[in-house]
Amino acid sequence: MTDYQVVIVGGGATGVGILRDLSMRGISALLLEQGDLAHGTSSRFHGLLHSGARYAVKDPVSAAECIDENVILKQIAAHCISDTGGWFVQSSEDAQSYVEQWIRGCAYAHIPIREISLADAYLKEPLMSKDVLRVFEVPDATVDGFKLVWANAKSAKRYGGDYKTYHQVERLILDNKRIVGVAAKNLVNGEEIMVHCEVVVNAGGAWASQIVGTIGVPLDVICDKGTLLAFNQRLFQRVINRLHPPSDGDIFVPHETITILGTTSEIVDSPQENQPREPEVKRLLAMGEKLLPNLMGHRVIRAFAGVRPLHREDSEVPGSVEEGREVSRTFVLIDHEVHDGVEGLISIVGGKFTTYRLMAEKVSDWVAEKLGNTAPCSTAKENLMSEIPQDLRKQALRLLPCVAAEKMLERLGDDAEEVLTKIMDDPRKGQMLCECEMVSVAEVEKVASDEDSHHLADIRRKTRLGMGTCQGAFCTYRVLPLLGLENKKFDPLQDELKRFINQRWKGIRPVLWGQQLRETELTRAIYASILQLNENPG
Amino acid sequence: MWDGIIVGGGLAGLLAGIRAAERGKRILMISEGVGSLTYSSGVIDFGNVAQLVRQDKHPYALLGESIVRNGADYFQAHFPDYHGKWREVQTVLTPLGSPRKAGFIPNGLNAQVLHDAHLIVLMAPEGMKDFFPKVTKANLERAYPQCVVKVHPFRLDAFESWHTLGKPVNGMDYTKYWRSASGTGALKGVVNSLNQELDEARSDPADPGKSVVVFPGLASAFSNSIKEVLSDLPFPVVEMTAFPPSASGHKLYDALKETFGALGGELMVGTGVKQVEIQGKRCHKIIVKSKGKDSEFSARSFVLATGGVFGGGIEVTPEASKEMVFGLPLYVPDEWTNSEFLGDQPYARIGIEVDRELRPIDSKLNEVILENVQVIGRMIAHWDPWVEHCGGGVSLASGWFAGETM
Repeated sequence: MTDYQVVIVGGGATGVGILRDLSMRGISALLLEQGDLAHGTSSRFHGLLHSGARYAVKDPVSAAECIDENVILKQIAAHCISDTGGWFVQSSEDAQSYVEQWIRGCAYAHIPIREISLADAYLKEPLMSKDVLRVFEVPDATVDGFKLVWANAKSAKRYGGDYKTYHQVERLILDNKRIVGVAAKNLVNGEEIMVHCEVVVNAGGAWASQIVGTIGVPLDVICDKGTLLAFNQRLFQRVINRLHPPSDGDIFVPHETITILGTTSEIVDSPQENQPREPEVKRLLAMGEKLLPNLMGHRVIRAFAGVRPLHREDSEVPGSVEEGREVSRTFVLIDHEVHDGVEGLISIVGGKFTTYRLMAEKVSDWVAEKLGNTAPCSTAKENLMSEIPQDLRKQALRLLPCVAAEKMLERLGDDAEEVLTKIMDDPRKGQMLCECEMVSVAEVEKVASDEDSHHLADIRRKTRLGMGTCQGAFCTYRVLPLLGLENKKFDPLQDELKRFINQRWKGIRPVLWGQQLRETELTRAIYASILQLNENPG
Repeated sequence: MWDGIIVGGGLAGLLAGIRAAERGKRILMISEGVGSLTYSSGVIDFGNVAQLVRQDKHPYALLGESIVRNGADYFQAHFPDYHGKWREVQTVLTPLGSPRKAGFIPNGLNAQVLHDAHLIVLMAPEGMKDFFPKVTKANLERAYPQCVVKVHPFRLDAFESWHTLGKPVNGMDYTKYWRSASGTGALKGVVNSLNQELDEARSDPADPGKSVVVFPGLASAFSNSIKEVLSDLPFPVVEMTAFPPSASGHKLYDALKETFGALGGELMVGTGVKQVEIQGKRCHKIIVKSKGKDSEFSARSFVLATGGVFGGGIEVTPEASKEMVFGLPLYVPDEWTNSEFLGDQPYARIGIEVDRELRPIDSKLNEVILENVQVIGRMIAHWDPWVEHCGGGVSLASGWFAGETM
């Protein structure tokens, strides 16, 4: 007797992608996530939807996968993607021989490129360094990791898929070397649960080795920390890559009203080591200067870091299910029956955000075969979110500022109706609670009451609250009355507030200069002096 | 030739200007902005003076307790709307309704009376931005468990059209309205109807009496008309401090400016110092950019009151930190931050090191850098207002001292 056919461990892009895929094939699945969905690496990256051009020289398999998925995702996840296009820019320091290799690589992977005249380029991107030799346009785009993950989860739910957040897997349960279930703990109330299943998919990303480690199965995941910077404005209108072998600080990705500069690469011991450090920040700025002079003169609002899970490249790929398919070096499927003699357990390691759907498809194919399900994958054909009805959009535009209305519709889809009803009943709920990211009181109220919102940070990930220029100085305070005083769902309010501010602080610490330092003085004045949340010995 | 030029017009600069002008000095104040008082709650904190006067290099330690006290006394003598006794801790309500400690407080904010209350009536002006009646009620109930807390919502005709449009009405809007002729009338109406309700409650034998009204968005300090309305009432009214922008802070700023002007001080707002002229160890002249052209001003002495990092007096880049007017050397801590946001943060101690006369010094050579320049307020090094809770005290003490000695 089983509760679900499959338990997926890990609520990043890959995990929710698998949940959606399996659910669409009619396989019953439950996803367990130790934190909130997308709290890990799937939101801690530059948000670049690769065209594949970045891998055109070094990794042609990966490049070809990226361009295929790029085209698919622009179709099925249009509301999470901004089709900005991207440029590869050769500076005077970058070798001509590499440019030629790159052009050949793009052609080989069928990535469309187009050279742009410098005159045209400077017209479109006036801040770009004058020290540029050639500019090529590629179909890069930007993607909102939070939105994409939530859209997958919601889509999966419509097909009967389940997920539980704040549930940490304590151990996998074996019966004679065969997986029969998972024991997990609800981190919100401490309750232990047991879920019976036939198959466990380990999509724990950087945490993957810890999960199979609970039954002594070894899995070699390298934790590769990447630090990024967020600037408070759109420095460029499109993704700007440097045309050289991929390195630190050579990608600028514009999102909404900000720009992200990435990325560093450093092997760390554990996925918890995601504190960005000052030397990394300085390295990023120094490298970024090559594409954008006087970069330090622009306001950095925070630094953040994600931990990429890499599979050791030189290792064998045992148990690759599709015989003959050369699993790309970018991601690997590990059938633990072949490798460790444990039946019904598969790990998916490595890969990129851009190829999350493909990875999910490959995993789901394996699971389907295991369970004798013959339904084909249909995730590439159906949009993640249904079209927003015209009258809903019209109503949103009537009740909210245009930008706020569009952003809300993209985040909530059909659920927007609930928010708009609230605003119609009480126009004051249409006020912007988060003025930097334009999030209305009604939207925060709705999200705070969602059953899977347990912390302020969960509301942040779903709405972008506190992610703008003020980094929570004003909106953290304003969200307090919405945190459900009556049902005590959230921690004691002042603890919740301090916890949230400390989380924001983590990303501000390494970029504490200029305007962000002034902002910090104001934030400390508000919380330490006006609200006096710290000890006053006076 | 001015007797003194003060660069920066916040709490410290204005108090220095007032004292110097009162001493008959011709004072010019040049201010790029309007200071930070509107961001503050208007409450003056002193922190633990006895402890801070013994803390190495702290501004209190340099000045000594008697000067800290002189600054406080002087301020209170000029602004009797501020209540409090030296080294006596008072209680005010935060914008969330929790009690907090304070030094000198504007008229009407003293929350002491809540300790003896049995009924707290929390006034809830309709749609007031950044005021949360439910959270405030819960915090009041926690802090004063002997009390019943009742929320008393009310709405005003004057803001009806704002509510219909969903337009926020912040505390400053309410305060401004209460101070107008029609607003004072409306305030009378609001409190009178409340009084009737309370009267009825009082005739109920089950009600033990001792009612106190808590009122956000009301700033009676520096307003005789509001004080008059409140003085007639049979119950005490406790005002709340406000989330920025705050009317109390703003009114204090206005009052300081007015006093400075009445004493003959000259204030230029919206102009920054472009350049200074130094000869030897003395500054002679500053050049300011004003209305598109440069103007020169000479003076015998200068005061630097540009408000530290927040005020714009110090600029920090990834490579260097810079004092913006005289280019004075700064104390910059080696470690910059700590993980607990509201705990000790070394960065906050950045500033100019000064001698006991508040003149900037080269701490390695132990030499005064500019003999006729004094540094006051947030520009001084080695203190953190957000853990030491002494921001008002340092500004008043250093401001008063500069005004007294320049």
